[in-house]
Amino acid sequence: MEKYLNKGIKDLISEFPKIGDILNEYNIGCVPCNVGSCLLKDIIQIHNLSSEDEEELMARITGAIYPDRKIKISKIKRKARLESKEVKYSPPLKRLVDEHILIKKWIRLIPTVIKNIDIESESGRRLIIDGMEFIKYYADGFHHAKEEDILFEYTDKNLDIIKAILQDHETARGHVRAIFERLKTKDKESIIDHLNGYKDLLTEHIKKEDEILYPWIDRNLSTKQVGELFSKFDEAEKKIDKEVVEKCKRFVVEAEQRIEKIKQEVLK
Amino acid sequence: MMDGCPGSKMQDLRKKEETKGDESGKRESQLGQWPIQLYLVSPMAPYYKKADVLLSADCVAYTVGDFHKDYLKGKSIAIACPKLDEGQDEYVEKIKSLIDDAKINTLTVMTMQVPCCAGLVAIARRALESAKRKIPIKSIVVSLHGGILSEDWV
Repeated sequence: MEKYLNKGIKDLISEFPKIGDILNEYNIGCVPCNVGSCLLKDIIQIHNLSSEDEEELMARITGAIYPDRKIKISKIKRKARLESKEVKYSPPLKRLVDEHILIKKWIRLIPTVIKNIDIESESGRRLIIDGMEFIKYYADGFHHAKEEDILFEYTDKNLDIIKAILQDHETARGHVRAIFERLKTKDKESIIDHLNGYKDLLTEHIKKEDEILYPWIDRNLSTKQVGELFSKFDEAEKKIDKEVVEKCKRFVVEAEQRIEKIKQEVLK
Repeated sequence: MMDGCPGSKMQDLRKKEETKGDESGKRESQLGQWPIQLYLVSPMAPYYKKADVLLSADCVAYTVGDFHKDYLKGKSIAIACPKLDEGQDEYVEKIKSLIDDAKINTLTVMTMQVPCCAGLVAIARRALESAKRKIPIKSIVVSLHGGILSEDWV
């Protein structure tokens, strides 16, 4: 069984498809993950199941791998177990979760932007450019940079979950670059594809961070490290132009009204 | 029926059976400073500079069996009683100075479960609100039996 605990989940699911269904039942969404290189033992540890659930899940996975044999599984080692399912973030992680709220507001507007897309008019193009600049300066420059340059230094960067998160960041940057390019060539369909791609990617990415990654990082941080992270985030934010951050916040607040205005112009 | 103040209500917590566990050997004190009483300490003392500080209610150390090993180790300390100590505005100023001048890294406030003890967390909050710097504050609440009832970032 040890070799399966150290195996990437995508390979494991393709060898034993039943494991994917079992993980789904425990709200462990590995099946749709496009990376799938996390090791089974890390997945069990990161999701912080209750002792009973972990025991039951491991027994079922073992049953799927060895249907004809009885095998006793030793518990996965972990630093701390949260008995409560209620997530309470430390102050620096809470700050990142709060930043997600603003990013999610923009993501929720993307379907309306697509529905009313207008790349011919100045106001229609400006809305998409401003949306991409919001992503570039706020979601990426302000938020992802704190994760990549500071937070992930407190984790093992060789862990597959961190690699998957970093890969998401790169894919998101790719969507933004492509949208800027396609605006020049006025390729409406491709812009829509990349806007949808960004929306789907970030929706899943934020959920993964809020529900799995951040609580797991928090459980492994000492009080001293929480203080260090907090002040390093402060330092990093001081280096970023406050006006740019404020402009990004204003963009999300005003975007809804701007979409409505474009809608009215199209109707005329 | 009114039971009176939980903070001063008499309770017999003596154990009926002798505590099990290895009691052999001696444990070293983890205290790295003097004085410790909040009224007496100076926020400018070197051991507070950029430190992780434990602000403990007086009764906590008598209640938690492994106080030194689990909570004091690696931290600088100040102790106070939010119920009996006078001059609590001065406490607010001292904690504010720990945050702004000593630039402490974190503040962990350990209190007893009795309601009056929550005043110490309130003092820490007031200090943080009036300070220029912001730092993470953690609140740990201890039961009368020495267990940890909650451990949350404020």
